[in-house]
Amino acid sequence: MQFNKPKDLNELLENLSISQKKNYFLAGGTDINVQIKKEFIKDGNFYYINEIDELNGIKRKNEKVHVGALTTYRELLESDTISEHFPFLQRSLTNFASPLLTTMATIGGNIANGSPTNDVTPPLLVLDAELELISVAGIRNVSLTSFFTGYKKSLLKKDEIIKGVVLSIQAENGYETLYKKVGARKTLTIAKVALAGLKKIKEGKIDEIKLAVGSLNEYPRRLDKLEEYLNNIMIRDINKNTIDEILSKEITPISDLRSDKEYRYRVCLNLILSFLGINH
Amino acid sequence: MGSVRKFDSKPKINGSWKFLDDYQSEDMIYGNIIYSKCHHGIIKDIHFPNDFNISEFTFVYAKDIPGENIVPEPVSDQLFLAVNEVFHYGQPIIGVAHPNKVTLTNFIKKIKIDYEELPAIIDIKECLDNEKNHFGREITIDHRTRDEIQNSWIRHHNVYYMPHQEQAYLEPQGVIAEYDKQDGIIFVRITAQCPYYVKSGVESMMGSAVNDVVIETSEGIGGAFGGKEDFPSLLAGICSLLSYKSGKPVKIVLDREDDIKITTKRHPARIEIESYTDPATKKIEKIDIDYRLDAGAYQTLSPVVLARGVLHTAGGYGFPDSFIRGRLFRSNTPPNGAFRGFGAPQGFAAMEAHIDGIAAEMDITTIELRKANIFNNGDEFPTTQKVTEENLIDCFNKVLEISDYQKKLKSYAQWNKNHKDKKGIGVSLGFHGGGFTGNGEKTLNSEIKVVLEKNAEVKIFVANTDMGQGAHTTLAQMFCEAIDHPFEKTKVQLPNTSKTPNSGPTVASRTIYIIGNLLKQLALELKKKYKFDKLESYIIEHNSEFPLELRKNYIQPTSVFFDEESYRGIAYKDYSWAACVNEIYFHADTYQIELIESWNVLDIGRVVNEQIALGQAEGGILQGLAYGLSEFFYKPGFGRMSGFTDYTLPTTLDIPKIVIEFIHTDSVTAKGLGEIPMDFPAPALRNAFLNATGIIIDEYPLTPEVIYKTIKEQK
Repeated sequence: MQFNKPKDLNELLENLSISQKKNYFLAGGTDINVQIKKEFIKDGNFYYINEIDELNGIKRKNEKVHVGALTTYRELLESDTISEHFPFLQRSLTNFASPLLTTMATIGGNIANGSPTNDVTPPLLVLDAELELISVAGIRNVSLTSFFTGYKKSLLKKDEIIKGVVLSIQAENGYETLYKKVGARKTLTIAKVALAGLKKIKEGKIDEIKLAVGSLNEYPRRLDKLEEYLNNIMIRDINKNTIDEILSKEITPISDLRSDKEYRYRVCLNLILSFLGINH
Repeated sequence: MGSVRKFDSKPKINGSWKFLDDYQSEDMIYGNIIYSKCHHGIIKDIHFPNDFNISEFTFVYAKDIPGENIVPEPVSDQLFLAVNEVFHYGQPIIGVAHPNKVTLTNFIKKIKIDYEELPAIIDIKECLDNEKNHFGREITIDHRTRDEIQNSWIRHHNVYYMPHQEQAYLEPQGVIAEYDKQDGIIFVRITAQCPYYVKSGVESMMGSAVNDVVIETSEGIGGAFGGKEDFPSLLAGICSLLSYKSGKPVKIVLDREDDIKITTKRHPARIEIESYTDPATKKIEKIDIDYRLDAGAYQTLSPVVLARGVLHTAGGYGFPDSFIRGRLFRSNTPPNGAFRGFGAPQGFAAMEAHIDGIAAEMDITTIELRKANIFNNGDEFPTTQKVTEENLIDCFNKVLEISDYQKKLKSYAQWNKNHKDKKGIGVSLGFHGGGFTGNGEKTLNSEIKVVLEKNAEVKIFVANTDMGQGAHTTLAQMFCEAIDHPFEKTKVQLPNTSKTPNSGPTVASRTIYIIGNLLKQLALELKKKYKFDKLESYIIEHNSEFPLELRKNYIQPTSVFFDEESYRGIAYKDYSWAACVNEIYFHADTYQIELIESWNVLDIGRVVNEQIALGQAEGGILQGLAYGLSEFFYKPGFGRMSGFTDYTLPTTLDIPKIVIEFIHTDSVTAKGLGEIPMDFPAPALRNAFLNATGIIIDEYPLTPEVIYKTIKEQK
């Protein structure tokens, strides 16, 4: 294990471009320290990035808000910009973790860690968030929906780091919203099921709906097929069985010490039906 | 005197008091246990990693034990260190020490042990459902008075399962042993409840190799809840042997993961109840209880838990005809041990659920049924002990009143008709016997010592530990209050087996009830003998007679006799009483129970320090709520948990509003308090869920997964 403390973003990117080993970024340390202790990570190059200013801060540019990767959850919860434009996102993070963790954990770290249960991704997915990835070759933007490619796998290249999350100012404007994290306790818990949703309903018809789930697949994802079925449908025409059928193909919950796959599936279905206002 | 400030508040807040891991000395080395990762097997080979300098390590094996390889317990069947065969995951095989803690940890991680695996039982139901797994002494309480069952009586029969529970003390298990070669003395510093248990543990381990063993606790003990009753004896034994062999002070502090994996838990239980109720009188005429505990691989102190369990499981009801059978069952898991309640929470979880089950089956209210059967003056326990007071009825009536039970019951039934989510309210009640079971206090013959100094300072010497529960403050208060002595002029000696006499273990809700009342008696006797108005003035006037040392032993009244064979007689001299009402909100989409409010009325007799008593009650209620709601340690197919990420202790956000009221506080005796708050919240929660949904669940805890499964199976 090698520990590095680059003085700025350029030095970090230079280091990454020549690194021979797997790179790990130490920011809040809330995930990575656990993984080192449990020996999931045994070797690699570690970069302490907490003092790299270019990765920090919440900034508004025209119709976009840029949230630096190092932004902590405490900062998100206290930010006026977030409160003004993304109250739904802010509410979603209320019981994210203990005050200690919230103060240390960063949005970039939470996404990069790629856990299937990570809490911030489902609400960001329905907000159509983009990620800015940076390397010596420059910046590229990818949509969060395409970022994850498998269990703890993503589009992030070996020499890249997440620079920030980009949100459109209108992302949650005019929608009815839902965020539900179901865990074994109200906070300090790993989600058994997480569901985020945005909807616009006009005269009994779904104008637009966006749904994203966590803890139910190898990575948090949008429910594309279900959205496809639900968009532009009259609520009274919605068939519960069709939802069930589509959902069963879009989520693959597992049983573990924390919960059972049957329970996870059913709760996800119940939450979706309730969000749509369908009796069940 | 009321709520005086605890002795330990200030030094704990300013950090001046040491917890076990805070003690350091220059030549101290670090020890740990190499334990079995096999549930049952023969040890074939042990491979040490070859990239360490083995000569830097100290190892102790079973063969190195100079005394006996047996941990002293009520049934001494557990080994300090395994010999050839291991009987459970977590069984210690080798003690090891090294000057560097990190090196030690890395070394232990790389050790490989080969086993020839043998059949093992780790599943709770597999253990408890199979009568072949029974071991140890069977207890029966036979109070059968009738032969015939009348046709009109309604039979209700059910099996209830209760899970493990982890004590989750803040400070993990830890010990420092220091062998003084010159004098042949082992000095042990430990975070533990029972210094004299630890002493006999180390003496068993060391035999005649040492001249003396002295145990002293750390200044701060970061919680115990029963978890530091017997396991410390095992840990101290191994640590002492490491110090003896290395010639250095050795410190062992268990990592949280090891602590959770290998130390004792509350016993999982299977309780089967069959009852017959007369529909005309609503009187339960006959009851038969089969009470089983999963003891783990060894019996250790489980027979004592079993004894308390069978003596409590029939609940606070005057059954004219009862039969109770109690048995321990063997599994290949670490021995289960003490945890606040000690067999009683399991018993009440089953019995109080059963009462609501009967009411549901007969379509009468649980209140009617309880009122028809609750202990009245003159009723008998299954042991034939007479009930001599109606304080349980008072607790019950009071809790119904302060929770506004009847009104809520009606309004929620109405609300539930129009809502998918459900509201519910549930009740439970019962008792907890103070002090050791049966003739236990007689055998203990606890001794206390008080020294009156020339400056009128009172020094109290008892072996009972203050693990955060405020025992030392309350004990001092009891002495002072009896003779109106200023509290500031009192000190309590840190428990040390060479200084404090054996006043027994800090368990069984006995510290205030037995030792506190003994201190009070001593103070009153002193006053009577020297005929003083104020002790302080007396000491000034008769200064040459001081310092004065006084001792007193607890003498069990001759009226208290318990027949350990037939289980008849006075099982406990004094009982504390309690009743609990819990209100819940059931979320239909997620199958989650949300706790809304918990009302608890307790009769613990005189309340010495109200603030401390409220703290004790609140903590116990919380542990009880979580026992019913979320805590489990083992899941079939997925094994046992290893940390707090999965083991679901509630957080502050999960805690409902808790209302506590003490009644009959003008009584003379301060009775047991430590355990009773834990006994009733779980069944009251379960009964509230039944009230909300009409769904019967007989398995604790009521996790959303269990609820979903039950609903699905009912459809």
